[in-house]
Amino acid sequence: MTRFAITSSTKATLIWLLLVLLTLVTYGLGKIGYSGTFVITIVLASVLIKGHHIIADFMGLRGTEKKWRWLMQGWLLLIVAVIATAYRYS
Amino acid sequence: MNHTDKNIVQYKPLPGDFAIWVFIFAELLVFGILFISYAFTRKYNLELFNHHQQFLDRETGAINTVLLITSSYFVVRAVDAIKKNMSQQSARWLALGLLCGAAFVVFKILEFNEKFSEGITLSTNIFYMFYLCLTGFHFMHVLLGMVILAFILVKTHRRKYNADDHDGVETGASYWHMVDLVWIILFPLVYIIR
Repeated sequence: MTRFAITSSTKATLIWLLLVLLTLVTYGLGKIGYSGTFVITIVLASVLIKGHHIIADFMGLRGTEKKWRWLMQGWLLLIVAVIATAYRYS
Repeated sequence: MNHTDKNIVQYKPLPGDFAIWVFIFAELLVFGILFISYAFTRKYNLELFNHHQQFLDRETGAINTVLLITSSYFVVRAVDAIKKNMSQQSARWLALGLLCGAAFVVFKILEFNEKFSEGITLSTNIFYMFYLCLTGFHFMHVLLGMVILAFILVKTHRRKYNADDHDGVETGASYWHMVDLVWIILFPLVYIIR
């Protein structure tokens, strides 16, 4: 099986494109003025994806000890979960 | 993470100086408390928050998000370049990152200026209190991050870092990515979701 090698700079560029794309989706949803559980779910899911890549790939925590990754990703997950709960029951 | 043999797993160390990570975790704790406070205060002041949120400049917010993400990307490329011993290329990436940070500052000052000229202050209402505190506190972190980036840019340009010794670049980069990470949550929370 042939495996395609991807350089670190190409990977960073692809992640940057994904982050910009998700930002545009978030902005688009805000611009249209939609609200409600569906929109909040999409926007917060996009925050989780973006945050995950910033922590793992931009900050370089991928491959570090689990405790550091859990601390950072856990912070992100906790904040998003609490925000989701506050918005769900408001 | 490398698997050197069946039982031993080698992990990468945290990038940069450990002290910056203590600082980063402390900062994230403070921002986390502010985000949660915003979300629950909104819960009990729903109409007020939804009404005033619509007067925020989403366009500027989105542009600033793209600027910070792009700046973070340039800083990633700078770290990548210094690891390959390309200090001048690394300095160029850092300069581009700094430029994006400066553009963020300009847009943010314009946004603040517009709000202040409308007579909006911390005591206007609870929504604007949170808006000014969250964005203002983050703005101060951007300024500090830019000072750090400028410092490592000068040192990189003077070839003080290389492939074997680039802890300073990674330390500054980690702080800058934290500033980006916080904005990634702040933007949709304050400007978008309702």
